[in-house]
Amino acid sequence: MTTASPAVSARRGATLGWLRRLLTPKIAIIVVVAGLIGYLALVPLYYLIWGTFFDANGFTLGGFARAYGDPRVGDMIGNSLWFAVGAAVLSLCVGTALAYLNVRTDVPFKGLFFAASIIPLIIPGILYTIAWIFLASPDIGLLNKLIEPIFGPAFFDIFTVWGMVWVEGLHLSPIVFLLMVAAFRSMDPSLEESALMSGASRWQVFRRVTVPLTRPAIVAAVLVMVVRSLESFEVPALLGLQNGIYVFTSRIYFVLRSYPPDLAAAGALAVGLLVFALIGVAISNLVGRSGKTYQTVTGKGFRPRPMELGKWRPVMGAVIVLYFFFTVVGPLLVLLYTSLLKFYQAPSGEAFASMTFDNYRQLFDMSDAMTALKNSLVLGLGSATLVMILMAVGAWIVVRSRIPGRQLVDHLSFVPLVIPGLVLGLALSFVYLRSPIPIYGTIFILLIAYCTRYMPYGMRYAVTSMHQISAELEESAQVSGASWWQTFRRVLLPLLSPGLLAGWIYILVVSFRELSSSILLYSPGNEVLSILIFEQYENGQFTVLAALGVVMVLTLAVLVVIAYKLGAKVGLRQD
Amino acid sequence: MNTAPLSGHRCGRPARRALASWSALMLLLAGCGGLPTATAPQAAAGGGPTAAEKLYAEVNGMTGQQRRDKLVPLAEKEGTLDLYTSMTSDVADAVLKAFEGQFDVKVNLYRAGSETVLQRIVQEQKAGYQGNDVVETNATELFDLNTEGVLADYDSERRRMVSEAGRQQGWTATRMNLFAPSWNTGLVTPDQAPKTWEDLADPKWDGKLAMEISDSDWYLTLFKYWEKQGKTDEEINKIFEGMASGAKIVKGHTVQGQLLSAGQFSLAASNYSYIVEQAKAKGAPVDYLPYVQPVIARPNGVGLMKTAKHPAAAMLFTDWLLQEGQALLVKQGLTPSIVEGDDPLKDVEIIPIDVEELTKNGDEWNKRYDQVISNGEQVDGN
Amino acid sequence: MLRINNLVKTFDGERRRRRDSKTPSAQEARVFAVNDVSFTVENGQLFTLLGPSGCGKTTTLRSIAGLERPDSGSIEVADRVLFSADEGQKQVNVPANERGLGMVFQSYAIWPHMSVFDNVAFPLQVRKRGERLGRKEISERVMRVLETMELGHLAERQATKLSGGQQQRLALARALVIEPPLLLLDEPLSNLDAKLRESLRYELKRVQRELGITSVYVTHDQVEALALSNAIAVMRNGSVVQLGRPRDIYENPNCRFVAEFIGTSNFLTGNVVAKDGDRYTVNTIDGRLALDSAMTLPLGTDVIVSVRPEAVEVSTTSRAGEVPNEWKGTVLTRAYLGDSLDHVVGVGKHELRTRGNPSTSIEPGTEVYLRMDPAKLVLVPVD
Repeated sequence: MTTASPAVSARRGATLGWLRRLLTPKIAIIVVVAGLIGYLALVPLYYLIWGTFFDANGFTLGGFARAYGDPRVGDMIGNSLWFAVGAAVLSLCVGTALAYLNVRTDVPFKGLFFAASIIPLIIPGILYTIAWIFLASPDIGLLNKLIEPIFGPAFFDIFTVWGMVWVEGLHLSPIVFLLMVAAFRSMDPSLEESALMSGASRWQVFRRVTVPLTRPAIVAAVLVMVVRSLESFEVPALLGLQNGIYVFTSRIYFVLRSYPPDLAAAGALAVGLLVFALIGVAISNLVGRSGKTYQTVTGKGFRPRPMELGKWRPVMGAVIVLYFFFTVVGPLLVLLYTSLLKFYQAPSGEAFASMTFDNYRQLFDMSDAMTALKNSLVLGLGSATLVMILMAVGAWIVVRSRIPGRQLVDHLSFVPLVIPGLVLGLALSFVYLRSPIPIYGTIFILLIAYCTRYMPYGMRYAVTSMHQISAELEESAQVSGASWWQTFRRVLLPLLSPGLLAGWIYILVVSFRELSSSILLYSPGNEVLSILIFEQYENGQFTVLAALGVVMVLTLAVLVVIAYKLGAKVGLRQD
Repeated sequence: MNTAPLSGHRCGRPARRALASWSALMLLLAGCGGLPTATAPQAAAGGGPTAAEKLYAEVNGMTGQQRRDKLVPLAEKEGTLDLYTSMTSDVADAVLKAFEGQFDVKVNLYRAGSETVLQRIVQEQKAGYQGNDVVETNATELFDLNTEGVLADYDSERRRMVSEAGRQQGWTATRMNLFAPSWNTGLVTPDQAPKTWEDLADPKWDGKLAMEISDSDWYLTLFKYWEKQGKTDEEINKIFEGMASGAKIVKGHTVQGQLLSAGQFSLAASNYSYIVEQAKAKGAPVDYLPYVQPVIARPNGVGLMKTAKHPAAAMLFTDWLLQEGQALLVKQGLTPSIVEGDDPLKDVEIIPIDVEELTKNGDEWNKRYDQVISNGEQVDGN
Repeated sequence: MLRINNLVKTFDGERRRRRDSKTPSAQEARVFAVNDVSFTVENGQLFTLLGPSGCGKTTTLRSIAGLERPDSGSIEVADRVLFSADEGQKQVNVPANERGLGMVFQSYAIWPHMSVFDNVAFPLQVRKRGERLGRKEISERVMRVLETMELGHLAERQATKLSGGQQQRLALARALVIEPPLLLLDEPLSNLDAKLRESLRYELKRVQRELGITSVYVTHDQVEALALSNAIAVMRNGSVVQLGRPRDIYENPNCRFVAEFIGTSNFLTGNVVAKDGDRYTVNTIDGRLALDSAMTLPLGTDVIVSVRPEAVEVSTTSRAGEVPNEWKGTVLTRAYLGDSLDHVVGVGKHELRTRGNPSTSIEPGTEVYLRMDPAKLVLVPVD
């Protein structure tokens, strides 16, 4: 393309060539995507940094003094890390083990995995947590009552850091499961088989071969889980506060509660979160970098063959059923049970006798319910699709391109993870109230909010998948004459699709729950389901809320099934 | 003033408003100080009264049917009303239905927690965006909004019937939320139930009493009340310490009510009576009667926006809420601000939240209350 | 056909950033992956880049493909400049997808989400609009190539469900379908088992010869190189150390590295003690050797004598005096290789490997005489 005709003067030819080179679809797409990522991340970040470090008199560190001057700050950081790391480790172990069993072995009850991987994500955090209070509170927990004859009263205590770790870890494990399933699916089993043939036991193979090979996915999962737990609010608020266990988010809630909201202190705390997250990113880059070693999707074909568990099969089957009970059946039953009651009470003949469908009837009578469902669907599908498209390109920039500063794209995409939802809401309303783009008061501002909030997850899913695709697959397309865009669309996208689909489902599902920024940004007519949930919660209508939860679980479950069915038609076929 | 983006000093020119959102980024890159700055709301910027304010002033002087006759055609001509409120949805739905049934005015409703309502209005006003005509929310937030200078003066015969604590500059009380202890009747017999606030400090409630994490207004008002009663600060602190000792800290009155019904704890220190009343009506084993006195009342009120696009509708709605609306609120289990006829609370001592103190030193009280409940946790601790 | 001039490729920034920042200066951190490489490949030839891993052969190949951007030098295929970055010259860097070359990757890089047919059709489908063939033509061409590769019956199969040999042929089919002027092969046989490798080696040679396609072949396997190539460039540390026909390189390695790398060799160190025309006499620890060499070396020069195993004759009887270079030794081990038989013979402190007709098999422990033909001994200068 640079072989310009000799007739043109050298300089003009050079300029034109230069221009033409800049205007290729590849450059255009990269610039647009990098620009969008930067824009989405920087708007709230700017607002946060500004609010943190500047007041009417200029630069100040007063926010830090107020945020960290509290004598309990050490406890708070300790609790936060304990909680976050604990939940991350638990979700990692559970999610990875399940993904491995599902993809690589002949474990029974594979059908259950699907439900187990999605339903906990769908149940709103507040309901999931409350369901666990009803299950494992020392005072009224059903499980405690159940095992009281054997272990004595109050065997489980959910109102401890361990309880928080348990609930959060279980609630997060599906995310790890989704990330790791994609990783295991695209890994050549012969790598494991060769280890098996070298005389390694199955456990050794898992530990010495499988885990190192899927390290980028594992590192990504840990990182996302730690940060996700650090910014989790429902669990610490409902379980921690009862015994005075504070974490970052509960402190942020405190400082934002007053008016004018102490953005500086909230920002200082958020900056603390940002620091932890950046340390995490740095570590993950350090651990997961020697790229080529981990490209497990190579051009050599492989047939994923399930490994036979032999005598362990029934044991693993039991473990699966147990897990399924804990993450899905238990909470879902509590939800279903509650949704049929007039007010929550422990199960008894009386309670069962009083059951009605009133809550569901009330739900369908609610004027906003249908609008909200429609809006949530539009926003969920829209943000999931947009984010995954953007992040697929973003991941290419980060992993494959040699553009200087590409890591910045990665870091930027990570920023929204640590920006509290309310701060994001404030930032977006601040910007779009003053922007000539007339999206304030429309559904689009919610779309932007959702895209911003879920960008980090999308990026993790996409980067993880990208790391696993051998560069030769891309290069061979290039040599075959495919342009960048053709390579991307026809080779990379299909190969990435398991990971992209997992990310898409995740975003779709969690966007239904987004409240903290939606509540500030929605406008009449643009209500979403999470707003309804919040309202029912505020009204004390837990029973209606439970009914809403059940409806949401059903709706999303149907959507996800459709997505999987469609997804199976493109990309790597899985036998 | 620690929050530049919200309260921002005004170095901006109105032209800034026109800048694209990119300008924020540009300025970030340029490292310029003084931004994001807020553009002043129109009225507060020092200009003359707004069109809405002129209408308010005109109608404020009118009374009775003449006033209604003036407002209704104007409001119906405006056709819509943009209302921001923190009313719960069941109440709001009932209010809307009645109002829209009576007048040919379509109400656009934005509903959120009171802090969020406040944030949103402040954000919109600073950007010169006319989002709402009228606001109905908690006293504290209304007080803040008035301080921001976005609320207009309102007067009417009905306003003059509201008790003095409910007649504030810029807003008028419409209803009261009552703080009262409530208990699970399955776990607490009537004779065990607390009779006074001081009873809550009894060690017998250790591990059984729940306190709400954000009720510093309740704390402040009770504290001031006891001060007036002649208790020393030391005595008062001791009572609160007694309550907090072994207390279970809960976030959210709703959760508190729910967990109380479920028996997670026996006694809730400061729940809203209406939440307990609703649960009780559904058959939950909870009660709050007879009242532990004095009952602490947090007023909710209504305020007119200076920048209203539909001022007549806003004024009509305010009039209506203080007149026909009052009966409707009673029907919803709420306590109205204007008492007509038989007062169910006439023998109950009610003290309003000290809004002025709260707004002035709210942060201070927040911190003290945090301290109180965290001390409790330490005594309880492990 | 293919002309490469003064190709240089360094990895500095990239490498440096990845390792540590302790490196004192950029200059020292520069690692020459390819250092001033030039060669020409004639039409229809199969040219091999041979060398151990890390010698720069793959980087050279990838530079031709357009997957790496060299720092300087030029690359021309069929008189079309694909790359040129010499000072004072017009800068040219045709992107990989516009070079129109065929390439077979080490891993084959078969796209696992496509069928056999789709894999081969892809290069035709992604052509620029004006040049794109019709659906029918594409199908015909794909099937023709698949038939040539004996994959026709597998066209609809999922690409991942092929055996290793089939995948290799598929990769070749995909590279050939656009009928490229130049075929690049990056260790295409290294992933196969020995038997398959051998049969595919001849298959490859057959296809290359039948189509008359100019090819550049990268390998670290000297047997492959010798068997396939018209010409070989032996590379080491980014530079070409010897370039020539397979026979030249095998028989007259120009340094110990080449001699060692190409085939098995015995090396005897010594120094030149006499010279008569082309006939040199070299003193080694174990004895004197007479040999012929065209090199001009002064007396007293330290040299290495490379003795190919097949250049040593083993015998239980002595012919001392009749022929030069007869040494005495003891058989240590022997190994039957089917078409030949190796003896390892201890001579003084050294062991010499010999290779001969399987009909001569001598018990270990037997005293034997080794005779080395002066014409087959190679004088290698000390590096």
